[in-house]
Amino acid sequence: MATAPLATLRAISPLREMGAYEALWAKSETTFTSLARKFREAPDLLPSDFVAEYEAKFFADIVMQMLRDSGVKQFGIRVHRAGEYPKKLRDAEDPVELLYYRGWWDLVETRSVAVVGTREPSAQAVERTSKLVRLLVNDKFTIVSGLARGIDTAAHNAAIKAGGKTIAVIGTPLTHSYPKENATLQERIANDFLLVSQVPVYRYSKQDFRRNRGFFPERNKTMSALTEATIIVEAGQTSGTLIQARAALKQRRKLFILDNCFQNPSLSWPHEFESRGAVRVKEYEDIRKSLVPDVNPT
Amino acid sequence: MLTQLDALYLPHHWYLDAADECYFGGEYTAGQGYTYSETNQLILNLKKKMERRGLPDWGYKARAIRQAAMNLREYLRPQFLASATFVPIPPSKVVGDPEYDDRMTQVVQLLGENVDARELVCQIESTLEAHTAETRPGPRTLYNNYQIEESCITPTPSQIAVVDDVLTTGAHFKAMKRILGETYPDVPIVGIFIARRVPGTE
Repeated sequence: MATAPLATLRAISPLREMGAYEALWAKSETTFTSLARKFREAPDLLPSDFVAEYEAKFFADIVMQMLRDSGVKQFGIRVHRAGEYPKKLRDAEDPVELLYYRGWWDLVETRSVAVVGTREPSAQAVERTSKLVRLLVNDKFTIVSGLARGIDTAAHNAAIKAGGKTIAVIGTPLTHSYPKENATLQERIANDFLLVSQVPVYRYSKQDFRRNRGFFPERNKTMSALTEATIIVEAGQTSGTLIQARAALKQRRKLFILDNCFQNPSLSWPHEFESRGAVRVKEYEDIRKSLVPDVNPT
Repeated sequence: MLTQLDALYLPHHWYLDAADECYFGGEYTAGQGYTYSETNQLILNLKKKMERRGLPDWGYKARAIRQAAMNLREYLRPQFLASATFVPIPPSKVVGDPEYDDRMTQVVQLLGENVDARELVCQIESTLEAHTAETRPGPRTLYNNYQIEESCITPTPSQIAVVDDVLTTGAHFKAMKRILGETYPDVPIVGIFIARRVPGTE
């Protein structure tokens, strides 16, 4: 399509970058770590610099078709070094070069915190999530979570119910939702708020669920990088949530752990993270005074 | 870096087609959307009404004009800056109107002393601003209200870059491309925008 001066402008073609990203991911050995290494070694290059133009086009066409077939009418992408790519994502150990989104990208620029936790929460944990989210919304924070069952779902729902804003960073491509029962919530967030995915559409469709599960913890690292702080409501000793906790500390984000986690004698992780800098939260004020120090106590 | 308006975003700017070569820097969420991003701040300040002149917030407009020029310089390689002719899309109000706002002319003039920036196209009559008009004018209406500034047509450019702050429907670019194409039939014309409007926002 372009007749002239791509070479004399500093410009990217989003569709070509998307196709190139998908092509890189189509190789079975590709991981977020291997991709991040590639771009660390060649910081001036784009996905399209590693992939032949026809190959990028091949994958762009396939993926556009897959998105259309799944009912995604409008979506956008963000590419490192092009407009609107959030610099804060570079704080991740293996930052994403490209991501997909639906909805209001602008929400990425709001002050936001991640509220996350187990997929099998206690009734009290769900109640705590709702209360916490109401208070955070009241302080104008955007609530970010991963659209998983349990705490994530409670966090998104509470944010919407409280009239707040919410962002879902999902572990599936835009073409899928997991769990299935959250499809409606995902659609609502995509229309009214913001839905973000770093998961390659083609690769996901070509491998089984066991390998695709690996995308969930990857999105937790991105979620942490996207936010100022991560708050853990409830999580088991082997929960994927702890991946995000580690990422948050590594990325120099604040990490809050609700007090009830400390009171469970079978868990050692709350104490481990506290010793590494996490804040034990006995009341909302513990979060508030750390995030909004310039505001008077309630 | 600029983003090329390729097939992914082309459908959002419905007067444009695959033969139009357009580039944008960031994305602007207009009106009912959220407005937290740097790009939104830049565009809102750039579009600040002339009636604010002399008021405390006026300085933001001048700063936004400089910022827009700096952004453009960063997007364009020296070779392009040296060889292209930069043509601002004319403002909706003509000279003499109290709301006459030559912000885009100022932006292209700040691109550098040796940069060829020319107001090659002007409007015959003032129109309502596109983003407040009830019905947006199409390319034909805009074209009919454009004229070439005869005093600036030489030398013939080798490459034209039509520059505007926000790409919305693409109607202005289309009208500019048509009138400039009539004067310079063999000169390639591209559109360069500080931002494109996010689809679904007015």
